Amino acid sequence: MTVFLQSTLSGILVGGVYALIGVGLTMIFGVMRVINFAHGDLLMVGMYLTWGLFTWLGLDPYVSLLITAPAMVVFGALLQKVFINRVLNALPQNQILLTIGLGLIMSNGMMLVFTSDYRILTTSYSSSSFMLGGISVSQPLLYSFLVTVLITVALFLFLQRTDTGQAIRATAQDREAAQLMGINVTRMSVLAFGLGTALAGTAGALLAPTYYIFPQVGGPFTLKAFVVVVLGGMGSVVGATLGGVLIGLTESLAAVYVASGLKELVVYVAFLLVLLFKPSGLLGKSRM
Amino acid sequence: MSCILELKHVSKFFGGLAANSDVSFEVQREMILGLIGPNGAGKTTLFNCMTGYYPPSKGEVNLKGVRINGLQPNAVCRLGMVRTWQKVRPLAKMSVLDNVMVGALARTNSLRVARQVAFEQLKIVRMEAKADLLAGGLPIGERKKLEVARVLATKPELLLLDEVMGGLNPTESEEIIQLILELKKLGLTQIVIEHDMKAIMRLSDRIVVLNSGEKLAEGSPQEVANNPDVVAAYLGEAADA
Amino acid sequence: MGDRSGALLPRARAPRGFSLASLVALVALVLVVALIPQVIKKPLILHMWIMVFLAVAQGAAWNLIGGYAGQYSVGHAAYFGMGAYTTMLLLEQHQIAPWFGLGLSVLNAVLLSTIIGSITFRLRGPYFVLASIAVAEILRLGALHFKDYTRGAEGILLSGIPPLETPWFAIRFVGKVPFYYASLLLAGGVVLANWIVQRTKLGYYFQAIREDQDAAHSLGINLTLHKNVALALSAAFTAATGALFALYVRFIDPNIVLGIDVSVQAVLICIIGGIGTIPGPVVGSIVLVLLSETLRNPKWLAQLGIVGYDSAPVAFIEAHFSNAHMLIYGILVVLVIEYAPDGILGLSRTAWNRWRRARRPEAPSQPSAA
Repeated sequence: MTVFLQSTLSGILVGGVYALIGVGLTMIFGVMRVINFAHGDLLMVGMYLTWGLFTWLGLDPYVSLLITAPAMVVFGALLQKVFINRVLNALPQNQILLTIGLGLIMSNGMMLVFTSDYRILTTSYSSSSFMLGGISVSQPLLYSFLVTVLITVALFLFLQRTDTGQAIRATAQDREAAQLMGINVTRMSVLAFGLGTALAGTAGALLAPTYYIFPQVGGPFTLKAFVVVVLGGMGSVVGATLGGVLIGLTESLAAVYVASGLKELVVYVAFLLVLLFKPSGLLGKSRM
Repeated sequence: MSCILELKHVSKFFGGLAANSDVSFEVQREMILGLIGPNGAGKTTLFNCMTGYYPPSKGEVNLKGVRINGLQPNAVCRLGMVRTWQKVRPLAKMSVLDNVMVGALARTNSLRVARQVAFEQLKIVRMEAKADLLAGGLPIGERKKLEVARVLATKPELLLLDEVMGGLNPTESEEIIQLILELKKLGLTQIVIEHDMKAIMRLSDRIVVLNSGEKLAEGSPQEVANNPDVVAAYLGEAADA
Repeated sequence: MGDRSGALLPRARAPRGFSLASLVALVALVLVVALIPQVIKKPLILHMWIMVFLAVAQGAAWNLIGGYAGQYSVGHAAYFGMGAYTTMLLLEQHQIAPWFGLGLSVLNAVLLSTIIGSITFRLRGPYFVLASIAVAEILRLGALHFKDYTRGAEGILLSGIPPLETPWFAIRFVGKVPFYYASLLLAGGVVLANWIVQRTKLGYYFQAIREDQDAAHSLGINLTLHKNVALALSAAFTAATGALFALYVRFIDPNIVLGIDVSVQAVLICIIGGIGTIPGPVVGSIVLVLLSETLRNPKWLAQLGIVGYDSAPVAFIEAHFSNAHMLIYGILVVLVIEYAPDGILGLSRTAWNRWRRARRPEAPSQPSAA
């Protein structure tokens, strides 16, 4: 029973981070209808940024978030303006290939600079854990989860209560109508991509204390992000949040009850099942 | 037999919305049936149900006496019923000739024969000179003619035309009207969806009026034009020219 | 995702496709290339050619489903790896000669493609792409985990290929030359298959499906059947390529033959060269292989006589760039998508058209009125 509770809890905690990645991806899709295959690599960039600030400036990862997040917003905005904007009207297949290419440049560029050596970021609390009634909860995971909750709530409030947030939602709902109402949809696209990038980068920063950092780490996260987004419905922020937690749970339970080496495979099989039987997502909120 | 198509109590629901509701009518061979109604009346939905794009929720569609509910569009095409699309769908990166050949290949496996058939259809719509041009580069009028040539190449018995005159200037529209009349002489049966009332009155042997998914009226052009319910349904719709 | 049929393409003549004259030219080219090993013996140069031929086979095989039928699978590593593993396992575990192993590889791949097709072909656009990636990943992870069947991450090392006994002599697979001819034969075969498909009803139907699936359906085309045929053909050739690759490089593991790099490479070859054309995969292969092999083995430039074996450029590349080929791929694909989505072939065709129009004294073509 403890094992079950243990894996459920860590699954939810990790799921929070998956949710963050998924929300970023679904925002990008919602506003621009672009399928961003470089999303996991954006997470990787966030990881390296955090590691660099820690290794050379001694900044704690949760503190350096204040630098990493805005930096990632700018990075994402630049990517959008330089590369993505031009292909918004191209074939979806070409958009996909473009983002694949960008991802390749990012991951292999990092490899050139940092080599494929695994880096680790060990803080004083990296391997500490709390005890909650017989279950051990990893400290960094818990902190990450709390930060995730904070960010998700803040994002939700931003989207619902602020003018810019509502403008983003309007653009996601109907680009032409939003344009006719005076919303600068190009700026919304840049903002959406910047935010999505920042969310991915933040997820990377949050994972940095507990994960190995290497250039190719992004790949599986991209696919998982898509699983999360499809599960929750393409374009639905709420859906991505729930989807993330669900995927975290699935993976964690699969590691214990199926086989540790097969946990990702189980996630992908679940993905195929969802695509086949409920492509509009478990909540049916897809914008596709 | 002279009845080529029969719709019996066809309904189509999308969730709670009834796009088509209990629609029934018959189409006789070599007839031109006009299908009219305000926007959103369910005309294209009916075409989609008939050709197998999706199956009707209720009711029967009988083609030449055979029930075709739930058949795939390619099977319906082989049985002799084809449709054009409200928003034209050219095979953009292929040539005009190749587009029509795709249609012709429904009846033959030989590219040579398909090419001949394709050229004949292009002659009918007077586009044989454009055979080698990319379909995606054509203006709207020619795209519509191309689409007609393409479906004609499948050697249909029943042709469904969905607003084939939409977006055309008067000269182009007149060309299409003449084409439709010519096709009737060649023995084709046609169901025509149009908003152009003058054209519908000229072309149709019989008219079916849809409104909000239901069949509102049916009869000769004269009967329908004088039907007060039909007039009322169109009040508020701009009288078309 | 927006009505792209509304956009006007240039009012140009459609390319007529490869004619019989082109086929003769193709055969002549193959014959000329076949003579090369009789003249040039340097192993690194022959190695380059072999890698080019394998890439041509891989790209032209993907072209069938991706370029002609328009279904962008980014999971073709599934078939490549299936071919590689089937042949290697049969040879190493059961001593079955690779020419029979190849047949079984192809069969396995076709079976696999039928299963994958039945799952993924109901999905449209990006969902299809995602599903294809997921399937390949499932196979890779499975191969890593189920060590008893596949030897997992340890991989399979080729101990030796038995000689091929013919009535006149025995062909020993030693050195580069036998693989040169084998891969040339395979590449030629796949390109020929492309040519045949393009000029038959199959080709017309594939392209109709690519251009507008619903229109194709309503014109009498059985979507499921034709998509599956395209995928089966593509999978068969991809598996054959994977098998030959395995025999040539002599060592495989799940990441080498089932990794996403393999899938991406197949797509890139076609995109960069010119998707949905016959010369496209050939051009793309030459460009990609030249770049990646030069980075991996810069010493081949020395064998060409361009630079010395220990020269500065060779040393520089070896020191810094030996694994940069994926980076170059990424840069290339970004450049191509942004500036030349029809690939190198598309660029040359536009340049050719522009040159021809400039030479003619007639009025320039008018923009089409919408």
